[in-house]
Amino acid sequence: MAPGQQRYVVHVLIFTALFAALALSYDLVVGHVGSLSLAHPAFFGVGAYTAAILSTRAAWPFAADLAAAVVAAGLVAALAGVPLFRLVEHAFAVGTLGFALVAWIVATNWVEVTRGPLCITGIPKPVVGVPGGPALAIATLPAYYWLALAALGVVLVLYRLLTTFRLGRAFHAVRDNEVLAASAGIDPLRYRMLAFTIGGALAGGIGALYVHYLSVMCPEEMTVALTVNLLVIVFLGGVGTMRGVLVGAVLFTALPEVLRLAPTWRLVIYGALLLVIVVRSPEGLEGLVRRRASAR
Amino acid sequence: MALLEIRGLVKRFLGVTAVDAVDLTVERGELVSLIGPNGSGKTTLFNCVTGYLASDAGHVAFDGRTVTRAAPHRVARLGISRTFQQVSVFGRLTALENLLVFLQQHQEEDFFARLVRTRRVRRLEADAIARARTLLDLVGLGARADAPAGSLSYGQRKLLAFAAALMPDPELLLLDEPAAAVNPTMINQMKDHILGLHRQGKTVLLVEHNMDVVMDVSQRIVVLDHGQKIAEGTPDAIRRDPRVIEAYFGR
Ligand SMILES: Nc1ncnc2c1ncn2[C@@H]1O[C@H](COP(=O)(O)OP(=O)(O)O)[C@@H](O)[C@H]1O
Ligand SMILES: [Mg+2]
Repeated sequence: MAPGQQRYVVHVLIFTALFAALALSYDLVVGHVGSLSLAHPAFFGVGAYTAAILSTRAAWPFAADLAAAVVAAGLVAALAGVPLFRLVEHAFAVGTLGFALVAWIVATNWVEVTRGPLCITGIPKPVVGVPGGPALAIATLPAYYWLALAALGVVLVLYRLLTTFRLGRAFHAVRDNEVLAASAGIDPLRYRMLAFTIGGALAGGIGALYVHYLSVMCPEEMTVALTVNLLVIVFLGGVGTMRGVLVGAVLFTALPEVLRLAPTWRLVIYGALLLVIVVRSPEGLEGLVRRRASAR
Repeated sequence: MALLEIRGLVKRFLGVTAVDAVDLTVERGELVSLIGPNGSGKTTLFNCVTGYLASDAGHVAFDGRTVTRAAPHRVARLGISRTFQQVSVFGRLTALENLLVFLQQHQEEDFFARLVRTRRVRRLEADAIARARTLLDLVGLGARADAPAGSLSYGQRKLLAFAAALMPDPELLLLDEPAAAVNPTMINQMKDHILGLHRQGKTVLLVEHNMDVVMDVSQRIVVLDHGQKIAEGTPDAIRRDPRVIEAYFGR
C-alpha cells in the first residue's frame, strides 16, 4: 500500500472505533432502557465544545479537558432528562429531537463561545501521561488509533458492566414493561435517567476525543445527520446487543468510507436501509443471525 | 392493627365514580376476596392501593404506614406484591430473570460490592437463583427457566407472573383475577396455590370472577357494585345476600 492509502486506512479505523464507542453509548439508552432518544448529538457536541474551548482558550491539558467534557455532557443530559422524561414514547422522541436542534442552533449562534460557523480551530493533539512521569504526545495517526481503541475498550467494559447483572436486569425490566417493573420495586424514571446520563457523559467523552483528532470543531458535527448515523448503526446492527452495534459500526462507518460514497448518497442509502430493516427485521442484523442460528 | 386499612377511598374518572367511598380492612393472615360485576371498580381499587392511580379522597395504610400518595415502586418495596389482570411479564427476559428482577430491588444496592462481586454478593445472587428455581418448580415452569418469557403460552405467563409476585416473599398479595381465562386444570392449580399461601400465613386480597374459587378459598368476601361496597361477610352469608344476588343476576 502506498503511504497515503495506509494513512487513509488508519483514519477509517479511528473513525470506526470512535463511532462504535458512540453507538454503544447511544444503545445504553435506546437498546437497554428502550427510550428512543434523538438527543445524542447534543451531548456529543457539549463534550466536543467543552474540550475544544478548554484546550484552546484555557490551555487545559488533555486529561483534564476530557474529564470536563464527560462531566459537562453528563450534567447536561441529567438536567435535560428531568423535563424530557416527563414525555413518553413518541412525545419523548420528538422532545429529544427538539433538544438536539436547540443545541445545534446554540452552537451555531453563540458565536462568542463557539465561534459559530467559523469553528474552533487549532485544537492541540492530546498528550497523555501520568503527572511527574513521562508524557506521550499522540501526534501520529497510529498513536491516535491506539487511543481510540483504548477509548472503545473502556466503553465496551462499561457497556458490559452496566447491561448485565442486577443493573442490566433493572434496565431491561424497565424497557420490557415499565408498569410491571414498578410493581417489582423498580423506579422506572431513575433507571431511565441513569442510562440517559451515563450515555450522555460517554458521548461527551467521545466528542472530546473526536475534536482532538480532527483538531477542529464545527456546529455541523452535531446535526441530525449524526442522529441518522447512530440510528442506522444501532438499529441495523442490532439494538440492545453489543455484537450487533459493533457490526453496525463497522459496516456503516468503514464501508461507506472505503466505497467513497458521497455524503448525500450515503443519507439516501441509509434512509432506504432503515426502512428495509424496520420492515423486514426489527431486531437488525443481529436478529437475522440469531433467527438463522435457531432455525438450524 | 389491620395489615391493610382502606378508609373512604374515592376515585373518579371523567363522569364515573369508579371507587366510591370504600372502607376495607384486611387483617394479617387473612384471605379476603373482592368481588363484583365487571366495571365495579375492583381493579381501580387495586391501582389506588398500589400507587398506580392517585385517589381523589380517602386514606390507605399498610402495616400502620400511610401509603396513600406513595409511588408504585415504593409500595412494592414496603412488602405489597400485586399481579395484573392483563397478564404481564418481561417479554425479553427469561422466566428465571423475570423472577430475579422481583427480588433484587428488595435487597440493598451497595454498588461497589456488586461491582467487585464480593462473596456476600455472590451468595445473595445464588440464593436468589435457588429461590427463583423453587418457585418456577412450584408453578410447573421449572423446565422453561431459560425460555424468554415472551415465548411462553398465555397460561404459563400467568403462572410466571404469579410466581414473580411471590418472589420477594411479600406480606400482602393483591391478586387480580388469577384464574381468569385459563383452563380448568389451571384454575384448580391456582386455587391450590392461593390456599397454600394462606396456610403459610400470607395475607391475600383476591379479585376473582370464578365463584367456585372465591367461595372455596375466602374467609371473608367484600362485594363492590358501581364502586360502592354493597356487602361484606362470610362466603355463606354472601351467597344468600339479596343485594349481591340483585347486583349479579338482577339485571
Ligand atoms: N384509566 C381509566 N380511565 C377512565 N375510566 C376508567 C379507567 N380505569 C377504569 N375506568 C372505569 O372505572 C370503572 C371501574 O373499572 P375497573 O376498576 O376496571 O372495574 P373492575 O376491575 O371491577 O372490572 C369502569 O367504569 C371503567 O370503565
Ligand atoms: Mg378488573
